[in-house]
Amino acid sequence: MCGIAGRILNSPGKVGADLVELMDAQEHRGADSTGFAIYGPPRDSGYVLRCTGFDKQRLSRDLEEFHAVLREHGADYLEDPKILTDDSAHYCVRMVISDPRDLGRWIADADLISDHFEVQSCGRSLEIIKDIGGSSAVADKHGVRDMIGTHGLGHARLATESSVLPNASHPFWARPFPDVAIVHNGQITDYYTWRAKLERRGYRFLTQNDSELIAVWVSDQIKNGLTMDQALKKSITSIDGVFTYMIARENVIGFAKDRFAMKPLVVVERDGELAAATEEQAVRRVVPDESDVINYDGPGQTRIWQTTNRRMVA
Amino acid sequence: MNAVVIDVGKRHIREINDDIQAACKTGQEIVVRNTLSRHNLGIGLPPGARISFEGSVGYYCAGLNDGATVTVERDAGWGLAEGMASGHVTVGGYAGMSVGAAMMGGTIHVKGDAGPRCGVTMKGGNIIVEGKIGYQSGFMAHAGKIIALGGAGAACADALWQGEVWIAGEVESLGVDVVVVEPTAEEVAEVDAILDPLGLVDSSRNWRKMISGQRLWYFESRDANAWLMI
Repeated sequence: MCGIAGRILNSPGKVGADLVELMDAQEHRGADSTGFAIYGPPRDSGYVLRCTGFDKQRLSRDLEEFHAVLREHGADYLEDPKILTDDSAHYCVRMVISDPRDLGRWIADADLISDHFEVQSCGRSLEIIKDIGGSSAVADKHGVRDMIGTHGLGHARLATESSVLPNASHPFWARPFPDVAIVHNGQITDYYTWRAKLERRGYRFLTQNDSELIAVWVSDQIKNGLTMDQALKKSITSIDGVFTYMIARENVIGFAKDRFAMKPLVVVERDGELAAATEEQAVRRVVPDESDVINYDGPGQTRIWQTTNRRMVA
Repeated sequence: MNAVVIDVGKRHIREINDDIQAACKTGQEIVVRNTLSRHNLGIGLPPGARISFEGSVGYYCAGLNDGATVTVERDAGWGLAEGMASGHVTVGGYAGMSVGAAMMGGTIHVKGDAGPRCGVTMKGGNIIVEGKIGYQSGFMAHAGKIIALGGAGAACADALWQGEVWIAGEVESLGVDVVVVEPTAEEVAEVDAILDPLGLVDSSRNWRKMISGQRLWYFESRDANAWLMI
C-alpha cells in the first residue's frame, strides 16, 4: 500500500506546496519515505540534476569523480552544485549542467560510480526530490513547498518489495530518458523477467524496485514508436501484477491501472487543472470545496492529461 | 425537530466518532458536516440512530453498522458499510469499491453507480444499486441479494457462493461459475418487495437472476478446468 498523487496547474505556480499537501494527507499509506517529481519552467539547453551520495564523508571525492566524467563527455557545471547535508549518512546535490555530447553515453559512465553516488533525476525541467520520512519532513529539508512549476507527482512509500533507502524510494526517473518520472502503487509480479529483457536492450537499473522498471518499460515502448496512450494501454496486458501508476513527461501526465482494479485513483479536473491522488480526502486538501470527483475504480483504465502554458510567468 | 450537528474538519477521527456515539445516545437525529471525504466516519453505529453525512465520505463509512439509518448526501469511498449487521444505508451518488463487503444483514441503497466488487463476500442483507455495478460485483457472495437496475460491469457475479445477483440492463460479461436462471413469479415478487419501500418497483424489467453453478464448491479433479478459469 502506497499513496500517489499528481498535480497540473494552468500556469507555473506552487506545485510543490500542493504536492506536499497531497502527500501529507496520505502519509498513513506509507511513511517510510516520501518523494516528489516537480516540473519547473523548462530550460532551452542544459539539464538540472538531482543526485544522492550515500556517504557524506566521501562528498568531495564523489564530486571530483562525477565532475571528471562530466568533462570527459564535453559538459560542465553551469551553476555551482548546491549541496545539502544533515544528520543522515547520505547527502543530496542539485546541479545544473551543460548538454553532454551524448546523454545516454554520459549517464552510462556516470552510473559507474552509482554504488556511492547516484543521479536520481535528469531533465530540462524535471527535478526529483526523495528522502526518508514523511511529507512534511522531506518538504522542510528540501524546500519543496517553494518549488515553482506546472506539474508534478508525489509518492508516499510503504516498502514491500525492496529496501528502505533514499534512492530506492519514488518517484523514479526513467533512466536514461530525460524528463520522465513515475510513481507507482502496487507490485509487479514478473519484475525479474522484464528486468532481464530490458537489461538485454541496454537499460540499467540501480535499485531492486519494480517501479523503476515501469518507467523504463513505458519509455522504451514510446522510443520504439508507440504513442504514450498506446504504451500505457499495452502495459496493462504486458506487465503482470497489481498497479496504478502515474507517469509524467515534459508536458503530460498519464496513468494506467491493472486488470484486477486493485489500486485506487481519484481525480478532480477543474478549469484545465488536475488534482489526482490515491484517496479523495487528499484531493480535497487542494480542492477544498465540494466538487465532482472522478473515481477511476474500474479495471484496465488509462488516461492522459496535457499541461499547458508551461512558459508563462507565474 | 432539532438535529445534533457534528463538524468533522481536521479533528482526530476517534474524537469525531466519540462525538457521534455520544449524540446517538440522545436519540436525536444527527447531521455530520464538513466531512472533507474523511475515512472511518460513523463506525459501529447503534440500533435506532439516524445520521446523515453532508457531502461525500471516505473509506469504510458506516462500517459494522448495528442498526442505524445512515444517509450519505453525495459519494462514498471504498468499503461503505463493511461488515454491517443491520440497518439502512443510503448513498445519493456513487459508492466506491467493495460496497457492503462482508455485510451480514440490513440494506444498502445506492442511487448512483457502484464500484468494483460490490457486495464482495457478503453473508446476508440486500444491496440495491439504481445505476450500474462495477467489475467482479458479487465476488464470492455467501448469501443475500445484490440488485442492480442499471446493468453490470465485466466478470459479474464472479465465483458466487450462495448469494444472488439480480440485474436489469446490460451485463458486460459473466464471471466464473455463474449460471443465469429464469426467475419464478414468486422470486420476482420477493425482489419487488425489497424494492417497494424504496419506490423502485417497475414490472416491465427484464431480470437476469444469477446464481452459483456450484462447480467451485467442492474440488473435483475431473472438473479442474473450472478452477483454472479463476
